[in-house]
Amino acid sequence: MILYRLSGVTKVYDKRTVVDIAEMTIEAGGRYALLGPNGAGKTTLLNILAFLDRPTAGAIDFESSPVDFSRKGLQTLRRRVVMVDQHPILFTRTVAQNVAYGLKIRRIPAKERKTRVAEALERVGMTAFSSAMAHRLSGGETQRVALARALAVSPSVLLCDEPTASVDAEHQSAILRILKEINEAKGISLIFTSHDRRQAAALANETIHLNQGRPASARQENVFAAVITSGRDGRAVCRIENGPRIALPYDGVSAIPRKVRIEIDSNLLLLVGPTEGSSSENRFPGRVIQATEEKGQIRCTVDIGVWIDLSLSEATYRKISPMIGDRVSVQVPADAVRLI
Amino acid sequence: MGFLIDSLRSAVALVVSLDPEMMEIVWVSVKVSGTSTLIAGILGIPLGFAIAFNDFRGKQILITVLNTLLALPTVVIGLFVYAFISRRGVLGMLGLLYTQKAMVIGQVILILPVVTVFTIAAVSRIDERYRKTALTLGADAWQTALAVAREARFGLVAAVVAAFGRVIAEVGISMMLGGNAKGFTRTMTTAMALEYDKGQFTLAVALGIVLLTLAFGMNLLFHFFQGRSRF
Repeated sequence: MILYRLSGVTKVYDKRTVVDIAEMTIEAGGRYALLGPNGAGKTTLLNILAFLDRPTAGAIDFESSPVDFSRKGLQTLRRRVVMVDQHPILFTRTVAQNVAYGLKIRRIPAKERKTRVAEALERVGMTAFSSAMAHRLSGGETQRVALARALAVSPSVLLCDEPTASVDAEHQSAILRILKEINEAKGISLIFTSHDRRQAAALANETIHLNQGRPASARQENVFAAVITSGRDGRAVCRIENGPRIALPYDGVSAIPRKVRIEIDSNLLLLVGPTEGSSSENRFPGRVIQATEEKGQIRCTVDIGVWIDLSLSEATYRKISPMIGDRVSVQVPADAVRLI
Repeated sequence: MGFLIDSLRSAVALVVSLDPEMMEIVWVSVKVSGTSTLIAGILGIPLGFAIAFNDFRGKQILITVLNTLLALPTVVIGLFVYAFISRRGVLGMLGLLYTQKAMVIGQVILILPVVTVFTIAAVSRIDERYRKTALTLGADAWQTALAVAREARFGLVAAVVAAFGRVIAEVGISMMLGGNAKGFTRTMTTAMALEYDKGQFTLAVALGIVLLTLAFGMNLLFHFFQGRSRF
């Protein structure tokens, strides 16, 4: 079943369009990641999906019915969709009172309220903190209580803005586990924002890439600010800020520096030995920072002045099999570079 | 100097003995000022919320006007209300002049800007995420306002305490609209002014002691409440 359908949805702040979505559908019961760099419009879109913000233009269908943007209509929808902030805030009450808040305003009887609060706290592993004052909790504990508060009202959709951005590693893994569990066990649709591609891949079964408010067709990675200059031979050269200079395949670029953003396709990059053809054009020495397995591909991050991700087949990776810290070179084919 | 010490000694005795005349004046003061503060609170707190929560044209101008009204002299309000409720005024037929109701009207006008401005300040200081959290958890506008009010409770109590402090100590409105009628509209401040005119300081000093004690008690209560709530 289609949960959300967005058509021509835009959000404009101070004459700046921060969200611009021609068409987007989100299926019920899924785990969706809204992935993109800072300023991509992820949080604004999440606020719109949470019915906390109205789009400037466009139409939204929720469970195949057009969204009624009247105050009453939005409140009805908000009772089914709950959002947890990137830095959630708890009311200056006890943890249990915080978790009970949504139930209390729904006039759930006290006995049932108590049971549901206990269940929600148990699910996030915060039972022991039930009577603690909420404002005394750490960042990770606050995030977990905020999750419990959202879960207590049994929403159809849970929206999380950067759910692990403000917590330590221990809480991060716990929160990701909880989110996965509630999606699988309770069938709650999960939509979360992230700028961490790995986290999105680990938790989501669908990823929506956003760039400058628009859905991007491909994942946004290896995106750098760069300056285009004219090289000695008249060809265009792309200089990444504090990073390498990449010769581009076209001529006729004005000698005046031009600030751009470039994207380097990780699938087209080549990993070669440290000394192999070291004088070749667009070959940059570097050091392996990390390597992870991701959906059958090996994702390798190399520091070549900037951190660059390579997506390699297992066979290609095994040809060199670099260890973390090993020196390697990255070959950047000119056609891997795309101006944004 | 001896005269002052004698007056102070007699005044303390008057306070300790809970002199009936003094207590009657104190009661009128507390009743009128309490009613004014209650009405100003009922009107000013929601008004402050409405101004703080909504964006509209002229919002800043309205806040500036309200801030200006904080410095409104009591005699100006007295004169203004008098123009309406005097026998020749448009509301003259209501017979409000020289009644406690007239005093309450004037005092509400005096402290409504105080409560409103303090509420705007208190609500604006509250983290916007409280409002967003209440909304996303399904609260309606009223429940959201209550959740924010709960977080802003110290600021709101401060608004009410400040407003009460302002009216209990004012003299212009009480004198001009109340008329200082004994046992009816005579308040602590008007009585003190009268006793001063008569050159009799004992009751004036006794009422001064009560007034200061009352103000001190209110603030003490506020700080106690603040301390208890914050653990």
